Amino acid sequence: MTGPHGAIVTTPSFAEIEAELARVDMRGMPAFRFVVLRNITVEPVAAYLRYFAYRAGLNARVAFGAYDTILQDALGADILDAQADCILVHTALEQLSWRLARDFPALSKADVAAELERVDEFVGAVCAALRDRTKAMILWHGLVTPAYPSFGILDRQSEDGQPAVIGELNRSLRRRLRDAGDAFFVDTDACLARVGYGRFFDWRQWHLGKAPYAREALRELAFEDLKFVRARLGKNKKCIVLDCDNVLWGGVVGEDGLGGLRLGESHPGSAFRELQQELVSLSARGVLIALCSKNNPEDVWQVFREHPGMVLKEQHVAAARINWNDKASNLRDLARDLNLGLDSMVFVDDSDFEVNLVRRELPEVEVIHLPPERPSEYRLILASSGLFDTLAVSQEDRQRGAMYQAEAERKRLEDTATDLEGYLRSLEMVAEVGLADAAATPRIAQQTQRTNQFNLTTRRYGDAEIAHLAAHEASDVVYLRLRDRFGDSGIVAACVLRYREGGALVDTFLVSCRALSRGVEAVLLVEVLRLARRKGCARVMGEFYATPKNAQVGDFYLRHGFIEGDAAESQADRVFVFDLSGAIPAPPRWFATIASTIT
Amino acid sequence: MSETDRVVAVVSQVMGVPAEDVTPEASADTIAAWDSLRHMNLILALEEEFGISFDDEEIVELLTVGLIVETIQAKRRPA
Repeated sequence: MTGPHGAIVTTPSFAEIEAELARVDMRGMPAFRFVVLRNITVEPVAAYLRYFAYRAGLNARVAFGAYDTILQDALGADILDAQADCILVHTALEQLSWRLARDFPALSKADVAAELERVDEFVGAVCAALRDRTKAMILWHGLVTPAYPSFGILDRQSEDGQPAVIGELNRSLRRRLRDAGDAFFVDTDACLARVGYGRFFDWRQWHLGKAPYAREALRELAFEDLKFVRARLGKNKKCIVLDCDNVLWGGVVGEDGLGGLRLGESHPGSAFRELQQELVSLSARGVLIALCSKNNPEDVWQVFREHPGMVLKEQHVAAARINWNDKASNLRDLARDLNLGLDSMVFVDDSDFEVNLVRRELPEVEVIHLPPERPSEYRLILASSGLFDTLAVSQEDRQRGAMYQAEAERKRLEDTATDLEGYLRSLEMVAEVGLADAAATPRIAQQTQRTNQFNLTTRRYGDAEIAHLAAHEASDVVYLRLRDRFGDSGIVAACVLRYREGGALVDTFLVSCRALSRGVEAVLLVEVLRLARRKGCARVMGEFYATPKNAQVGDFYLRHGFIEGDAAESQADRVFVFDLSGAIPAPPRWFATIASTIT
Repeated sequence: MSETDRVVAVVSQVMGVPAEDVTPEASADTIAAWDSLRHMNLILALEEEFGISFDDEEIVELLTVGLIVETIQAKRRPA
């Protein structure tokens, strides 16, 4: 978004943002409510928050707590009584502890320790008060490390200098946030580094109205905030689709040949090598890498196999469309292959023609247009896009590329199999069903945030909420792990069950898009029904909340022995009930093993 | 567009009042929406529009449209 490549990626001015916000129609978009608590003036951030939220498909409202009343607001302000989705906290150290911020040389070690403890207790009290009243995600902006510390060059020579002490404050802030659950540390220092110290602050406004941040700073901070929001709502991008010639390497393989490509450790090939390294890092975070190139496939794969400068390897590539078809059709095919929505994909190309075609044909695909005259900035453009951030990286993420390779092998087997059941049997699938424990909680929370297609209710939960549901006696969280002869897919399905009035309500039921069409949903549902019966329930209620993505599961409960009920009394679009006095269906026959520890 | 017209456009946009109301005499006293927060927005919007930076004293004194135009003209005149 910003950074040294600002000459190329231009962001609109404040006036342009306000004009665009006034012009666009956001009524069809889901509402999202920010509440800002602060000990400084940050009001102009509202326009940036609404703008970046709008770009993420959200109709955001922004409410502000009163000036410098963070704890009072957390304890009792009306703005928190309405449904808040995200609490933003902005604190200037000058307002929290003038002595640490500006009078540091006068402090003894004991004074410093006392100030650290006082600020930490304040943060703890605010976090506890907020968690008492709201389940909203909390984003607390970290305290800025001084650019001109109080002892000058000496400060950095010791572990008790001012920057180190402020680092300790930020560490204790992170601990408090971790304890609060679904609360995150926003790196103000990183935002400052991108904008630059001289442009981040407006000292006139600091003195006039305790408004330290210049608009550029507020824009960068709001952009950073939205990375968390997108990740929390499952709106982060899951797949990056790359052109090859003049993107992965300099030159055109079909014309320049393997030896004529620019790719390696020195100029001009080093820019492409750095981009590839960035892609490998994205892959390790769980982002799928796909290729979409107009080329002869054998030419491209020869580069992957034989060019010594390639950092990106075939094993990182989850899917590829290397042919002479138009790229919009290829992107649709890739989305189908990978079981992803087009709005989860980012298309990267250097060609005006391809970029414009995809923008016109597939507006839901995010497009990054790399400027062919500046390969030196390719890596940074990708790194600063902010499109792929997640709130956690699970074991499943790290292995995602390998999982898709295994999936490709399954597909090959499927093509040779004559009947579906025979194929499924040949996978030798082992399903393991259990109650969520501490190890499984982050992955389950992540699935509730990410899964869009096979998701009956699309309720998004954070780690803390899943842990709470798992620990509480009125609810259970059940997961299903899957492995087969091609590999371990990890946790691929999950269910949240709430017990009430002699029945059980299926609050959440979802299956990862990596594990569709194999019957894991039937295995999980059977186990859940058995669990409900064991708990003494007379019936199980299922709900369906329709979204643009989940039409395929509208009839899920009907296909599994539920009877449709009257949804008039419910907020759900459809409701279903399963009478546990009857027989529970048998699980699919084609699983080699179903190991359940819940019934 | 003259400097005056550009100032009027910015004031009108930031304060949310019709351009006709933004006379040279218009001020924080005559425009009800002109509170301290909007004043800050106005200063920043003018700086963005004209690519200039106001000094400490100026940002608190620029409370009439006429004074704003004069100050901007003085700042933009080659020394």
